[in-house]
Amino acid sequence: MQLLPEQIAKALVNEIFHSRRMVVFIFVTVNALALTAGLLWPKLYTASTSILVDERTIIQPLMQGAAVATDALDRSRNAREIIFGRKIMDAILEYGGWLVSNPNVEERALLIDDIKKRTFVNTVGKNILRIEYKDEQPERAFRVTEKFAELFMQESIAAKGAESRAAFAFIEQQTQEYQEKLLRTEEALKELRSATLDTNFGSGGGEGEVTNRLNDLNRRIEATTQELREAEVKEASLERQVSGEADSTADILREGQFRARIGDLQSKLDTLRLSYHDTHPDIVQVKLQIKELTDRINAERTALEQKKRSGQPDESVVNNPIYQQLRREQSQNQGVIDALTARLAELQRQMQNELSRGKRMHSGDARLAELTRDYQINRDIYQDLLRRRENARVSMNMDRERQGLSFKIQEPASIPLTPIGFRFLHFVLGGLALGTFIPLALLFVRLQFDPRIRIGSTIAHTHKPLIMAVVPHLWSPAELKSLRLELVLLSLAVFVTFGTSVTLSALRYFKVM
Amino acid sequence: MSKIEKALNRAREAGLQVVPLTNAGTGAATGGSVVAYRGTNPETIPRMAMNEVRMLAPNDLEQRGMIRPQHAEDPVILAFRELRTKVIQQNPGQNAIILVTSVSQGCGGSFVARNLGAAFAFDVEKTALLIDCNLSNPSVHQLLRNASVPGLTDYLENPALDVEKIIHPLGIARFRLITAGKRRESPEELFTSGKMKQLMDTLRRRYRERFIVIDGPPMSKIADIRILSELADYVLVVACYARSTNTQITNCLNAISEKKLLGIVFNEEPRIPRIR
Repeated sequence: MQLLPEQIAKALVNEIFHSRRMVVFIFVTVNALALTAGLLWPKLYTASTSILVDERTIIQPLMQGAAVATDALDRSRNAREIIFGRKIMDAILEYGGWLVSNPNVEERALLIDDIKKRTFVNTVGKNILRIEYKDEQPERAFRVTEKFAELFMQESIAAKGAESRAAFAFIEQQTQEYQEKLLRTEEALKELRSATLDTNFGSGGGEGEVTNRLNDLNRRIEATTQELREAEVKEASLERQVSGEADSTADILREGQFRARIGDLQSKLDTLRLSYHDTHPDIVQVKLQIKELTDRINAERTALEQKKRSGQPDESVVNNPIYQQLRREQSQNQGVIDALTARLAELQRQMQNELSRGKRMHSGDARLAELTRDYQINRDIYQDLLRRRENARVSMNMDRERQGLSFKIQEPASIPLTPIGFRFLHFVLGGLALGTFIPLALLFVRLQFDPRIRIGSTIAHTHKPLIMAVVPHLWSPAELKSLRLELVLLSLAVFVTFGTSVTLSALRYFKVM
Repeated sequence: MSKIEKALNRAREAGLQVVPLTNAGTGAATGGSVVAYRGTNPETIPRMAMNEVRMLAPNDLEQRGMIRPQHAEDPVILAFRELRTKVIQQNPGQNAIILVTSVSQGCGGSFVARNLGAAFAFDVEKTALLIDCNLSNPSVHQLLRNASVPGLTDYLENPALDVEKIIHPLGIARFRLITAGKRRESPEELFTSGKMKQLMDTLRRRYRERFIVIDGPPMSKIADIRILSELADYVLVVACYARSTNTQITNCLNAISEKKLLGIVFNEEPRIPRIR
């Protein structure tokens, strides 16, 4: 059943009255706790300082691009590490007077942890660093914060100087290394060049020239070979003419003549035989003529063979002008052949030379390319390093002169006057509010969730008979009397609580406590 | 006889301050019937005089949780008057036996019973009789100065005892009571006896304007409640603040026949008193 707001309010009032002792007890307890907490709550004072980390000094535009000033933002990010470093923390411990009691190592670690917890380092805006420190003593809060800023600036500048010195040393070393490398490469190049002077590479078109020459040589070899073959054919022809074959022809010619005459004589003989006996003188004569001719043929043949065997040309032949001419041509031709053969051999030698030169040139080219590349890279890096080394030198000098990164106290630390965090008044007010609110909330919750009936009209409607009457509590005189006493006591408790809160607040306000 | 009766009445009403309030409460309509009422009860007067010594002072009664008609604007009295009116409206012109039982022990069933009786008695045309049937935890005897007077159990067990002997006045006009009597182990057997039924019939028939209120045990003693509800005309269930749940009430109502169920009284609602 949905309750109306006034029903809830009435029920709540009834409940408060019903559970008055609980309400007052919670009120007093909560207030007592709040007051105790307020009295025990440590007063913390906070002091803060801002450091402007500025790198844009007058030197920077002049050194634009040349010297690298360390990034301020990085400084801010590292600030925490720098400040909480052992060096600064030890200095702070001593400065803040924590070492008066002569703490041992563990105690010191605890103290440092404690200080770290109460120190906050953050960046405000682009390059303002803010250091905040909390302490129970306002004066110490101020001094420690101031010291933090001072130590941080010192440490940062020292660290930056060391960094740029280290950078310079490193670049210097690198430069030397590259210089050596460069020298070595140069040396190697020189050696290569002197070793391969003949190949004439590197003067452009080395390979093309070799190819051209090879082609030319090929062509010439072919031409020479051709000529040689022609000369040889001619030689063979001349040889044939000069040697037996020509002679034989003349001989065969003579033999033919003889044979023709033999034939004529034979036919004459045959004719004569038709008319005469063999004993006829004509026939005998003709037979003798034939026999003579046959003998001549045989003699001719023998002579030819003898001639062939001896190789000696026939005198007649030798004396032949044609033969002589042939012999002349033959010897001329022989000379040509010899010349051509020599030329071919020369050409082939040149060809071999050219081929080997080509091979050498290729390997030399690869090596040259390698060396050249090394040389160029080393030279570039070396030049770059030289430039960098000079930059680093300038950066180092800048740091030495304290021109690179500058710190400026933007807002100096001041002695805090009022403590931060919850103050006593907050506890008092919170206690009063909570002491009132908690019992009300508890009662309200109980009203909402307790199944026990507190409002007559919430009795379920499922049954016909409804509420006949709602009977309030009847206060007998004795009950009234004790109630009166109880109410006085409860009021007294509330007033005492309230009065205590007010009194303590006043005492705190006037700094009596 | 009538003179003595008048004198006694006047003396008591002066002591209790009944008259002006009753007159104011019931108005002019009831004023005329006072004589008639007195006329119907001539035999009560000597008994009243006889019992005078046994009665408690009005302040003591108040201390024991009885309402007083003097505090007419008291919300408790207003509540009981309203309850009384509703009961009368249920059955106009007839008397009734009303069993008052509480949802659980300590809900104030006895308180409602005795004050409902008192509320009936405030009406000059009605009388009331309160019977304590809560034998395991009786409380009605507290309203008497002498608690050891004979009561219900004595009457039921002792055939020689007359009904008149157990009906006691308690200092409020037109209001009598019957205490529980001596403790008994098994009350059910007493309530089921014929004598009990006979007693109830007798009491009901004797005066038509007498309302009989039975102060019953809590609903946890369901057997007793069933028997007693047989004897009664109506049953009134008392639930109380911050103690009874809807489930409990529903269970109680289911145990009582719908015909006899009169309703629920929500008791003990917190009230901030006016403190002088």
